[in-house]
Amino acid sequence: MMPLPGVLGALLPYNTLVVACGVAAVGCAAGVVGTLGVLRRRALVADAAAHATLVGVALALLVTGQRSLAVLLAGGLGSAILALGLLVLIRAVTRTRDDAATAIVLSVSFGLGIVLISGMVARGVPGSGGLERFLLGHAAALTAADAMLLGTVSVLVILAVAIGLKEATMVAFDPAFAAAAGWPAAMIDLVLVALVAVMVVVGLPAAGAVLVTALVVIPPVVARQWTDRLVPMLVLAGGVGLASGVIGVAVSSASPRLPTGPVVVLVAAGCFAVSLVVAPRRGLLARWRAGHRRGRTDYLLMTEDHR
Amino acid sequence: MLRLMIFGVIASLWLPVPTAWGEPAVRVVATTTVVADLVRQVGGDRIAVESLMAEGVDPHSYRATPRDANRLARAELVVANGLHLEGKLATLLSRLSSRRPVVFLGESLPEERLLPIGNGLFDPHIWFDAALWSQCPTAVAAALGKLDPAGAANYRQRAAVYTTRLAHLDTQVRDRLAAIPARRRVLITAHDAFRYFGRAYDVEVIGVQGTSTESEAGLADMNRLVELVVSRQIPAVFVETSVSDRNLMALQEGAAARGQQVRLGGRLYSDALGAPGSDGDTLERALLANVTTIVRALADPEMSAEVADE
Ligand SMILES: [Zn+2]
Repeated sequence: MMPLPGVLGALLPYNTLVVACGVAAVGCAAGVVGTLGVLRRRALVADAAAHATLVGVALALLVTGQRSLAVLLAGGLGSAILALGLLVLIRAVTRTRDDAATAIVLSVSFGLGIVLISGMVARGVPGSGGLERFLLGHAAALTAADAMLLGTVSVLVILAVAIGLKEATMVAFDPAFAAAAGWPAAMIDLVLVALVAVMVVVGLPAAGAVLVTALVVIPPVVARQWTDRLVPMLVLAGGVGLASGVIGVAVSSASPRLPTGPVVVLVAAGCFAVSLVVAPRRGLLARWRAGHRRGRTDYLLMTEDHR
Repeated sequence: MLRLMIFGVIASLWLPVPTAWGEPAVRVVATTTVVADLVRQVGGDRIAVESLMAEGVDPHSYRATPRDANRLARAELVVANGLHLEGKLATLLSRLSSRRPVVFLGESLPEERLLPIGNGLFDPHIWFDAALWSQCPTAVAAALGKLDPAGAANYRQRAAVYTTRLAHLDTQVRDRLAAIPARRRVLITAHDAFRYFGRAYDVEVIGVQGTSTESEAGLADMNRLVELVVSRQIPAVFVETSVSDRNLMALQEGAAARGQQVRLGGRLYSDALGAPGSDGDTLERALLANVTTIVRALADPEMSAEVADE
C-alpha cells in the first residue's frame, strides 16, 4: 500500500522508519525553538504548556466525539496557548515571580484536565478511558500520517524561527536594547512562547509531556556548552535533538519492551553529560586545565568573565 | 377481574419481587459492568446492583470519583474482580474491606487455574473463559446469603442455574470457534484481555500492549508483531471497546508496507460490557458477540466487510 523509499525500506522495518522520521523531526524543531526559550529563561514554559494540553484534549474528545490525533492535538494546542497567554498576563498584571506564575498555571490547568477526564470516564464517554495517557506519549504507535503531521509542523516551526531570527537574536541576547529601540518585545516574547507551545503539543504523541519538555530544554543546554553565538547554537541544538531522536529510535527498536520516548531523552541526556565534561572552555576538563595553567586567581577571573 | 389479572401479570413482569419491606434485601456495588452482571445473575430481583464503572470504561486506568466513594460507603456488599484489574481502586477497596464485606472474585479462584504474569501477579481478565467464570457465582451467593439469610437458598439456587448456563455457553463457544482453521486461530488485540479465552478455546492470543493498558509497547514489539502477522498471513486484528486502538493502526500500516493487508476485524468486548440493549449487555451475550465477530473475520476473511473505525 505504501511503498518505502528505496534502500532504507529494504534495511529498516517500516514502523521503525516512520517513528524515526517523526521523532527526529520533533527532536530537531524542539531543539531549535528550545534554544530561544532557554536563552529567554522560558524553559519551564514548555512544561506548563505540556500539562495544559490535557484540558483541551479532553474537551476536543467531548465536543467532537473523535479520538484522532489531529483533533486531540488541535484541542491541546488551544488550551496550551490559552494557558500561556494567561501566564504572560499573570506576569504582566500581578508582578508574580516567573517561576511561581509558571507553577500556578501548570498545576491549575493540569488539575482541571484530570478532573475533566475523570468526570468523562465516570460518565462513560466513549474513548475517554486512559485519555490522560495522552500525556505519556506513545512513539511506537505513530502512523505515517502522524509522522507526516509532526514533520510538517516541525518544518514550519523551524522556518518561523529562521524568518524571525534577527528579532529573536535581539530579544534573546539584549532585551533591554530591544525594548529601548522600540521593538515590540512583549509581542516577540509571546510569539516565542506560542512556538514553544506548538512544539510541545506536536511532540506529545511522540514523547509525552515530561519528555518533550526535556527535548525542548536539553539540546539547547548541550549546544550552549559548545558555543556562544546564536546561529551555531540553533544548528547544534537542532542537530542534537535530531540525533537523539534517531539514535533513541534505533536503540528502542533493537530490544523488546524499551519505550521509545524515554530512550530518546536518555540519549539527549547522555549528550549533555558528555559535553559537560569535554566541551571547549565551558567543559569541566577545559576549566580544570585552564585552572592549572593560570593558577587559582586567574581561573576565578576567567569564569567570572564568562558569566 | 380480567383487568386486575392483566395488571397483576404486568406488575409481576416489571416490579422486582419484593422482600418484606419492598426494599432490596442487599445493596451491592460492583466495580465493573462484567462483575455487576454476575451479581445480577445470582441476586436476581431481591437485590439492587450498581456498577461503579459505566459501559465502555477502561478499568485499568479508572480512578474513583468522590461520588464513587459515596456509593461504596452506602453499599452493603462490594464485589470486585480483583487480581489488580481495578489498579487505581486497589487502596480504596482494601481500606473498605475492613468495614464491610468486599468479595474479590479473582482471589476466590484456585491459583492453579490463574495465568501468572510475573512478580507473583496473575492476569485479571478471567471472565471470557466461561468454565472459569462459572466458578465465581458460588462466592457471590455465599456473600449475599450471609447478609440476607432469608434469601440464601434462592441465591444458591440461582447461582447453580447460572453455573449450568455458563457450562452450556462454554460448549457453544467451543463449537462455533471450530469453524476457524487452526493456522489462522490467532487473536491480535490492543491489550492482553483474552489470554484466558485463548487458553480455554485454543486460540493463540497476542496483545499489542501487554496485560494492562497502562504499559507501553516498544518499537521492537511492534516490529516483531508485524513480522508475525506477515509470516502467518493473519487476515484481521481486533479493536476493543474500552481501549485505544492507535497501536493497531500502526501495526496495520507496518503489515501493509510488507504487502499483507490486515483488516480491522471489528470491535470486541474486553474489559467492559455494552450498554443495555446492545448485543453485549450481559457477559453471555458479550462473549457470543465476540465469538461471532472473531469467526466472521478469521474463518472466511473474504466474506467480512472491513469495519470502519469510529
Ligand atoms: Zn484489561
